[in-house]
Amino acid sequence: MDWMGLLVIPVVKGAIILLLLLTATAYLTLFERKLLGRFQVRLGPNRAGPYGLLQPLADAVKLFFKEEVVPHHVDKPVYLLAPLLTLVPALALFAVVPLGPSVHLFGREIPLSMGDVNVAVLYILAIGSVGTYGVMLAGWASNNNYSLLGAMRTSAQMISYELPMGLFVVSLILLSGTMSVTQIVEQGRPWWAWLWLWLGFPFFFITVLAETNRSPFDFPETENELIAGYQIEYGGFKFAIFYVSEYLHMITTGGVVATLFFGGWKGPFVDRFPLLGVVYLALKILAILFLFIWVRASVPRVRYDQLMRFGWKVLLPLSLLYLGITALLVVFLL
Amino acid sequence: MPLEQVLDTPTAVSYTPDYEGERAVVETLRQRFPDAVLATEEFRGDQVVTVRADRLLDVARFLRDDPELRFNYLVDVTSYDRLHLGETPRFATVYQLHSMPYNRRLRLLVPVPNDTNPVVPSVVELWPGANWMEREIYDLMGIRFQGHPDLRRILLPHNWDGHPLRKDYPLGSEPVPFSVNWSEPEFQDLGRQVLKPELPLENVPRGMDPEKYIVVNMGPQHPSTHGVLRLIVELEGERIKQVVPDLGFLHSGFEKQAENIRYKDFVYYTDRMDYTQAMNNNLGYVLAVEKLLGIEVPPRARVIRVIMSELQRLAAHLLWLGTHSMDLAGSGLALLMYAFREREEILDIFEMVSGARLTTSYIQIGGVWKDVPPAFERRVRDFIAYMPARIDDYERMLTRNPIWRHRTIGVGKITAEQAIAMSVTGPVLRSTGVPYDLRRVRPYCGYEEYDFDVITATDGDAYARYMVRMGEMRQSLRIIEQALDRLPDGPYKAGPKVSPPPRELLDTSMEALIHHFKLFTEGIKPPRGQVYHSIENQKGEFGIFLMSDGSNKPYRTHVRGPSFVNLQILDLMSRDHLVADLITNIGSIDIVLGEVDR
Repeated sequence: MDWMGLLVIPVVKGAIILLLLLTATAYLTLFERKLLGRFQVRLGPNRAGPYGLLQPLADAVKLFFKEEVVPHHVDKPVYLLAPLLTLVPALALFAVVPLGPSVHLFGREIPLSMGDVNVAVLYILAIGSVGTYGVMLAGWASNNNYSLLGAMRTSAQMISYELPMGLFVVSLILLSGTMSVTQIVEQGRPWWAWLWLWLGFPFFFITVLAETNRSPFDFPETENELIAGYQIEYGGFKFAIFYVSEYLHMITTGGVVATLFFGGWKGPFVDRFPLLGVVYLALKILAILFLFIWVRASVPRVRYDQLMRFGWKVLLPLSLLYLGITALLVVFLL
Repeated sequence: MPLEQVLDTPTAVSYTPDYEGERAVVETLRQRFPDAVLATEEFRGDQVVTVRADRLLDVARFLRDDPELRFNYLVDVTSYDRLHLGETPRFATVYQLHSMPYNRRLRLLVPVPNDTNPVVPSVVELWPGANWMEREIYDLMGIRFQGHPDLRRILLPHNWDGHPLRKDYPLGSEPVPFSVNWSEPEFQDLGRQVLKPELPLENVPRGMDPEKYIVVNMGPQHPSTHGVLRLIVELEGERIKQVVPDLGFLHSGFEKQAENIRYKDFVYYTDRMDYTQAMNNNLGYVLAVEKLLGIEVPPRARVIRVIMSELQRLAAHLLWLGTHSMDLAGSGLALLMYAFREREEILDIFEMVSGARLTTSYIQIGGVWKDVPPAFERRVRDFIAYMPARIDDYERMLTRNPIWRHRTIGVGKITAEQAIAMSVTGPVLRSTGVPYDLRRVRPYCGYEEYDFDVITATDGDAYARYMVRMGEMRQSLRIIEQALDRLPDGPYKAGPKVSPPPRELLDTSMEALIHHFKLFTEGIKPPRGQVYHSIENQKGEFGIFLMSDGSNKPYRTHVRGPSFVNLQILDLMSRDHLVADLITNIGSIDIVLGEVDR
């Protein structure tokens, strides 16, 4: 048996990706705070370490050493399960994102992704939705009115954005002719296909904002109305898990968006230095994260019934139209 | 709520004060109700009519509905205890009325018949805005209002013992325990002296059904209630059925304090009421004292006061803009810090003239505390030069932003008639199309000489309120510019009888030293009488009812805070809206709990 190929390499790869992701998540919080600070004519955190670089570490230490409180009135198993249900999908989503082309190491060809699944796009959609259950269960199990309202909003939000999002992805599949993410990245596209793809990107991005519960669609937690919505009864480490999964979700969705819309790891000189692909992907993800934060600093929050109306009355017809035109383009031009 | 009955109120506003008409109204009342009118009095231009309690409703209804009178706006209801005045009966309630179409003001004084169980008829059915004002009197003075729909304590805890504004209620305080051991007897009664512990708190307000709907408690610790406001909200899903505000978490008994300190010393308390507009509150109180004294301040002081008042209005509007946009957007929105950046500039100017940024206490009886420094004018001119562009920036972020428009247009809509009936003032009233602005209606500090517009909107929703406030910021800049142009030279405070002589004089002038000594040991002694004076602060009509018994302490000081009165309309605004809109409404009414609770 090929122990090396079946076990050792995936484990090592998984460990490295996990480590990278978690570090990136920690520093994403710093990135967001710094950037928000700049948008708001402030400096952002700059006390812990040079340029505040140790801030995530300090935050983590603070959260880990907090007392674990489980309130009396909660549904305990579900209450404890919920944070994990948001963390795991956020992590699992990254499994199908190719980090770069295959590299040759120790005489083996090692693909730079956890799994090259041939239904990867479907997997992304499916796993991405599972995270919502975590939020809903947390709201339900907390047995708190605010949490319940937050959970209610999440379910309302989910059905409004997931349909248009799915339809945009279907258009993408049509355009690419494959559901494998690796192939979507590696295959070339004619220039008009790229143009058409980017035309649809703003609308897709809106659904992504809703998927990640980011501003202006962050109403499941809305600190101004529901205080923190579903997170209200969670403290210490459990809160940290929610927090980490939220930011992790941002990174992984950023990775998915970069891969589907912007050619993933592709860039100049990648054929000569395959590891450069990882850098390109990271830069693309960073650009998308910057967009996330920029939006947060610039626009007010949508009311949840307005998102539903927007989702059903604007985004859904638009995505259908987009799908139809894509189909025509594929038939007549490809 | 008998709000529907009063909705035929006129919404026109006259800008010419009709003092002759006020005298005529008093005469009309004398002739029409010879048995009800007990006495009339004119003091410092205020017309006071004493009315028998059992005829109050007849007189009030006549005043409100007669087409020649139309006292459609109830400014204030207050009361006082005449125990030390030697008058009988002991209690009296005071109604301050204003007729918007004719611009007349009138004060009704109603002696309350029974000393042990004082009862007067409630005017809530005539002016629904009297609701909370009467509850406040019930709470603090113990006068009951017959026919009031919801007579409960409002500021004090429900199990408070006694009514603090009565003159025989000791000023009192809780002794400060000096022990470090919780089992010490010193601690046994801590916080329990004045409460009746046996009364249990009702969990859910009357009229709410926790079995059928979700009843959510918002606050007093809630990020969007702008302080320690507690709202009990009945929800059907996310739709609001009813909102019951619970006030008083910040109640500090300012009015009781005022009765026990000299006139000058209360200026510092007014800072702490609406802490976002110390200057305006100083001004309102100081003007009332000056009216009581019957003095004029020098022209330079008047202009400085206008500049300070408008800067403060601007600063408070900026604070409102930042926090309101944050309410609707979350803490990420950059506008909060932009607004704070400009507000800092204004606070720097305040620091320059008064040494303080927030609680300035700069405007003093007889003038201002100190003259403005030489660099002041250039600093303010710099500020008003770049500020319009900044306001344009804010508007670029919000005014045409589709999300902002969706969140505010049609939210918290009220009509002009509803607003007047509920005694709402300020931008909230002006957003319904009623151009009621005291700077025009009853000009003070020479506002009639300035060229500015009263900004109004027509829709009466949160977006209209936003537009009105943005417009008012620009108008404030206009006023400041005109004031700077005409800033005259000369003294900045009135003579030594009311304001202390400058420090330099104390070393050389015996007379100045004597005045200084008299002012700080004895204080000023206004003649016996009562006045009401109100100004337009950033939130609405800020009124002070001041009563002197001839001593150096006010016999009664009552504050009519715009936040307190305006907050009443929250329930009406928010019904059938979503929870998110409730936050919008609280923000767009613009309250400061320090003033609501006082």
